[in-house]
Amino acid sequence: MPEFKDILPPELIKDRGSLHPINHMKDTIMELLTTFGFEIVDGPEIETEKFNFDMLNIKKSHPARQMHDTFYVENKSNLLRTHTSPVQIRGMLEKKPPLAFISGGKVFRKDDDATHLPMFHQVEGIYVDENVSFAQLKDLIYKIIYSLFGDNIELRFRPSYFPFTEPSAEVDILSKEGKWLEILGCGLVNPVVLENCNIDSKKYSGLAFGLGIERIAMLKHGVTDIREFYKSNLDFLRQFK
Amino acid sequence: MKIAYSHLVQYIKERPSIEHISNKLFQLGHEHEIDDDIFDMEFTPNRGDCLSLKGLLRDLAVFYSVDLNQEVYTEKLNELELDFENLSESTCPKISFLKLEIDKVPETYKNSLDNYFTDLGLNKNNFFTDVSNYLSYETGQPTHCYDASKMNGKLLFHEIEKNEEFETLLDKKITLTGRNSVFSLNNYIINLAGIVGGKSTSCSNNTKTVIVECAFFQPESIIGKSVKYDIQSEASHKFERGADPECHDRVLRRFIKLVSEHANIKDMSITSFEYENNPIHQLPVNVHKINQIIGINITEDDYLNHLSKLKFSIDKDIIKVPSFRSDIKTQNDLAEEIARVVGYDNIPRSEISIPKKEKTNYKDLENKLRLFLLDHGFYETINSPFVSLPAEEAIKVDNPLDSNREYLRTNITNSLLENLLFNERRQKASIKLFEISDVYSSSNGINKKRKLSIIASGRVGENYKDFSKKINKKYLKTLFQEILPNEIFDFKILSREFLDTKIMNEIVSLEVDIDKFPNDILSYEEVSSHPSNFNEYRPISDLPQSIKDISYSVKDYSKIKDLSDLLLNYQSDIVKNVFIFDYFKNDKSEEIKIGFRFVFQSKIATLTASEIDVIYNEIINKSLDIKGITIPGM
Repeated sequence: MPEFKDILPPELIKDRGSLHPINHMKDTIMELLTTFGFEIVDGPEIETEKFNFDMLNIKKSHPARQMHDTFYVENKSNLLRTHTSPVQIRGMLEKKPPLAFISGGKVFRKDDDATHLPMFHQVEGIYVDENVSFAQLKDLIYKIIYSLFGDNIELRFRPSYFPFTEPSAEVDILSKEGKWLEILGCGLVNPVVLENCNIDSKKYSGLAFGLGIERIAMLKHGVTDIREFYKSNLDFLRQFK
Repeated sequence: MKIAYSHLVQYIKERPSIEHISNKLFQLGHEHEIDDDIFDMEFTPNRGDCLSLKGLLRDLAVFYSVDLNQEVYTEKLNELELDFENLSESTCPKISFLKLEIDKVPETYKNSLDNYFTDLGLNKNNFFTDVSNYLSYETGQPTHCYDASKMNGKLLFHEIEKNEEFETLLDKKITLTGRNSVFSLNNYIINLAGIVGGKSTSCSNNTKTVIVECAFFQPESIIGKSVKYDIQSEASHKFERGADPECHDRVLRRFIKLVSEHANIKDMSITSFEYENNPIHQLPVNVHKINQIIGINITEDDYLNHLSKLKFSIDKDIIKVPSFRSDIKTQNDLAEEIARVVGYDNIPRSEISIPKKEKTNYKDLENKLRLFLLDHGFYETINSPFVSLPAEEAIKVDNPLDSNREYLRTNITNSLLENLLFNERRQKASIKLFEISDVYSSSNGINKKRKLSIIASGRVGENYKDFSKKINKKYLKTLFQEILPNEIFDFKILSREFLDTKIMNEIVSLEVDIDKFPNDILSYEEVSSHPSNFNEYRPISDLPQSIKDISYSVKDYSKIKDLSDLLLNYQSDIVKNVFIFDYFKNDKSEEIKIGFRFVFQSKIATLTASEIDVIYNEIINKSLDIKGITIPGM
């Protein structure tokens, strides 16, 4: 038997906290994108219709602009941004191409059910240079998705529609259960948007993409109910350290 | 929109399988599910032209031989004399009316009309409305049927901007508010244009003479109305997305043909009003530009061939956009058409190389602060900014989800306090949370502040050193003195007076602008990094938990490890957590006292005392099997 004086106390387990899984996912994606050459820009969550819609070619008649889809504040003088794209508009107005920006953060839509929350998170990126093509966009998206889900993941591109990109695509990945899951939206920047930002669309073209952070975090962690992220339940938060 | 496979395939010469069509639809960008040989289509909002059998076939024609020419009535038609005036030509630049009289209302349907109702399992209404509904499904153009016997007087299309009552043909009474486009008969509203018709002039099973209205409405005049008045309207769904302004004559002639397959037509006449010419949109042929946009190398012949199949007409160097494709305006739009035909997945990747920039210190301070707090057992939270109570300078949401979410928060502490109470109700002994967020307020414009907020209460931690210590103001102060010895922060003790709780632990909080921290505090060497892996989540239980403590006396010190290994790794469905909460080395008696806390919780049902006792006794028996270990008092 050892000497009593030599007995060491049990290991002192320090309870280390954890980053919120959504912020951790957002940081991871932003970090990854900076290694590709993207520069991080920030913008306000309270935006104007001009930056959130008009400059992005989202017409007055577009359903997204209705009161049932967008939160307006201060007697409709402003709104809660519905996507992180206005940050890129601000970036393009400030700098000349070639430019490559990403922005991430909270966005707001007037939804509240089992699969949609009024607040969620996005990371969006834009790259404007001479001769940017859809084939290059595909290369970038493959690189992003392979980095996040491994090189063996199967993905497919589908034509889609966003007013600020043309052509537009949605990208699905094949789940372990054999189901296609939508993972991001992307496209070539609509020349109208470039012109809105005083960029010569005859000389320059651009690509843009946007990822929903919750969706990716749910897939990576196996969380099935999006609402779990925002209950601040320590039993939940403790699992992400 | 539901479209039957059998309806589609009858027009396709190759007779492809449902799976083959499904794959081609995905390639074209038309998401869908298949249920019982019916495609449940979800079209993107720019493709209003696809919202019909014919529309979808027009797109599929790029892959298959498709015969799009349904039979129509081809004879000359008499001019209908109708007392009609259009006071809002810009909203409705084109409109036609067809008047039809039949000898007898048919009791059964045949051919495509019958298939429509049978195959899609739809309810019939009355003959003319049924023909109109089918025609909308087949051609994409909504038409509205008025019972001609109820249509005596002057018909007016106009905009109103006053509140008026209106009863729809589905017996729903609504109050029109704001600006609305309507049809009126003798100053009485009979139709909310492009959305839903009125009860007063609707057709019935007895209607033998009908006036069919076929119009083009500007999407801007329709958008949002069906949601506003809570009306399920397929017509408005189509008009909102843009109908084909050039299809009216053909659609009404198809209407006649369908009616003639079911009844003898006694009389018919037609009239059309066109106030604006719909210009044909044109783009120059430029295959080089298309190849540049997509990053492929398609020949001009293939390019023009694809476009022709999609019903674009080519006139020397000019591409004429068909009238139903209001979404095509630029070379990028054409590039998307070609990319769809080629298949997005068949476009090869082309190496992208973005010029690298120097790494910036993006939110470095914030990140270091977060990791510092993690090291001290704090968990990061994210809370919704919507709150019920107005605070001074709080920004009001014009259209909140409900009255509990009418304002934007002006502080984070209240959110964290709610999080704290939520976790206290779940019997958490140590609660340490923080959030970093932008917070907005309004005074002379909108102000944004980036804030860090911290809240803590209960035990300092769940190990034998921290378990007996309670969180208080000094604890937080000491923590921050580690990194900012000279900074005095305003730590607060939050009152529990108005909180719905019996717990008495002190609640300490801090809310501070991030820019109050000097940029150079902390280095990444002083904080632990966050693990980069993504743990698999295990569903959590919201059922009540029970706690059992066991204190051991150990005289044979060599057995401490055996005891700890046994208890800390104890496997049971209902043991949620085990930790050492107490450790005492008695030098006098040369005895070690060690206390283990067991947290019991089930994922299925609230645990009974006897269920817990079974496992509890098992733990005790197994631990007492280790020689030299006793449980005092047992």
